[in-house]
Amino acid sequence: MSSLAKNFTNGIVRSNPTFILLLGLCPTLAVSTSLDNAIGMTGAVLFVLLAANVIVSLIRRWIPNRVRIPTFIVIIATLVTIVDLGLQGFAWSLSQSLGMYIPLIVVNCIILGRAEAFANRNNVRNSVADAIGMSIGFGVAILLISLVRQLLGTGTLDVFNVRLFSVPGLIDNPASILLLPMGAFFVIGLLLALFRWVGVSECE
Amino acid sequence: MSELVAIFFSMALVNNMVLVKFLGLCPFFGVSKKLSSAVSMGVAVMLVMLVASAVTWPLFHLLLVPSGVEFMRTVIFILVIASLVQIIEMAIKRTNLTLYNALGIYLPLITTNCAVLGITFINIDSEYTFIQSLAAALGAGVGFSLVLIIMSGIRERLDLADTPKVFRGAPIAFIIAGLLGLAFLAFGGMVG
Amino acid sequence: MAKERTGSYPIVFLTLVVLVSVIALTVVNAVTEERIAANKREAIKQMLATLFPEMADFVYAEETGLYSLYDERAVSVDEETGESSVDQSFPAVGYAFMTNGKGYGGEIGILVGLEIDRTLRGIRIIAHQETPGLGSKITKTDFLGQFAGLAPDQLLLARDGGAVDAITGATISSRAVAEGVAAGLVDMSAILGAAEEGGQ
Repeated sequence: MSSLAKNFTNGIVRSNPTFILLLGLCPTLAVSTSLDNAIGMTGAVLFVLLAANVIVSLIRRWIPNRVRIPTFIVIIATLVTIVDLGLQGFAWSLSQSLGMYIPLIVVNCIILGRAEAFANRNNVRNSVADAIGMSIGFGVAILLISLVRQLLGTGTLDVFNVRLFSVPGLIDNPASILLLPMGAFFVIGLLLALFRWVGVSECE
Repeated sequence: MSELVAIFFSMALVNNMVLVKFLGLCPFFGVSKKLSSAVSMGVAVMLVMLVASAVTWPLFHLLLVPSGVEFMRTVIFILVIASLVQIIEMAIKRTNLTLYNALGIYLPLITTNCAVLGITFINIDSEYTFIQSLAAALGAGVGFSLVLIIMSGIRERLDLADTPKVFRGAPIAFIIAGLLGLAFLAFGGMVG
Repeated sequence: MAKERTGSYPIVFLTLVVLVSVIALTVVNAVTEERIAANKREAIKQMLATLFPEMADFVYAEETGLYSLYDERAVSVDEETGESSVDQSFPAVGYAFMTNGKGYGGEIGILVGLEIDRTLRGIRIIAHQETPGLGSKITKTDFLGQFAGLAPDQLLLARDGGAVDAITGATISSRAVAEGVAAGLVDMSAILGAAEEGGQ
């Protein structure tokens, strides 16, 4: 497999940022109450991660080693602010529901981690592949968790106000605990155990 | 005064940083295996939260707002926090080398701790006064430390228990966190 | 690979990066500023419209916190820009303001709507942290509908001598809303009096 493809798939399965590396959990658990949120958050992360990886990779030869972390931070914080302002301007309800977790993307370990561990040492093409792969991995994870929480927690599945389907018995007596914070912990704990059981990941 | 106490307890217990607001999860799962490092981490985070709040509040209200550049908030705040962590790291290295070694890599990681940046945002969004921000930061720090310590105590015991193989490590830690969150729900109504 | 350089280069570099960041964000902010303000206004308008369907636009007085609501007679929309402006010489069709109640889980944000003669049109819950399934029922029309037309001295729970029936199992939340509205009316009474006299 070419190195480009390898970098790409790395982020989806083998080093899935959420389920394997356990990075960037804050936004994942906080906003995963609906598919809309999951899609919005994935989009935001994709934009920031891609742009950050590209920029860092482009200027990596000029970044002084001593100030590399602050440099990454400023670049990421700027991109995050752009996303924040963009969402507030053009996707108001999404920005309200994602709230403070959009600016918090700046401390999302996924993005800073990839800038430091990858984009700083690789060319632009590979950095792009890595960014997209990691974002897809993150997206898959947060979508999966949101799917479970929204379906079991409200009994319906809606995407941007379009009802996909609803479960008849569940809609009247949903397991609303799953929409509460602790529900997120239960879901991800059980999902992680499930992945190990099925053999997708290793036990400790 | 009673309002300050209410803010403190709200941040620490009712709207606990980790269990309710989901902030500060990375160190939560990484550090919390040993009780002693959990305590050190908790204290360090609380210190950074307090100082960060004390610095970012005036920066925002006295500099950013009058200049009309509130949108620079994210960039400025995170730079402040990164610098603060550097300074505190150097201070700890000089005064208490054992503590420095105990905290290891987790000290610089406080920079990326969502809880610290989170509390600075909360202070602004909730429109707290300066003193109220400090109360909130103190409460958040205490809440974070509390959960961290409880969690590490539980995990120390868990290591000795006979957990099913697929659950060992991260999965059971998450489920415990969920149960802790359920338990903390009992604090609801305390502030009202 | 990152460069190893000593001297002032690192500082210069970082300053340059920050400068680029400031410029980029100033540009983005300038582009989005108006849209964001418009979005915020629209959100408030929609919220007010749930209480006042006949409303076409509103005027917010920042010093007093009072929303004055106008219907289509007072509102004209500029054909070119799509912006609406309010002619305040027309009478208002209602007033509204925000107030807070001390609920079970924290503060409850309440929007209070008033007719021009200061009787209660109704209330809406803007934000709350009450217990899901119990206190959270304060957002339901069964509870909220009770407030329409109540006089200030009726703004207590039935068991406290007023006209508001509490939600079963959520006395504290119910009481918080009733008392919050009452307190808000008291706070705003002077301002409302002035508005009424001004014939606005």
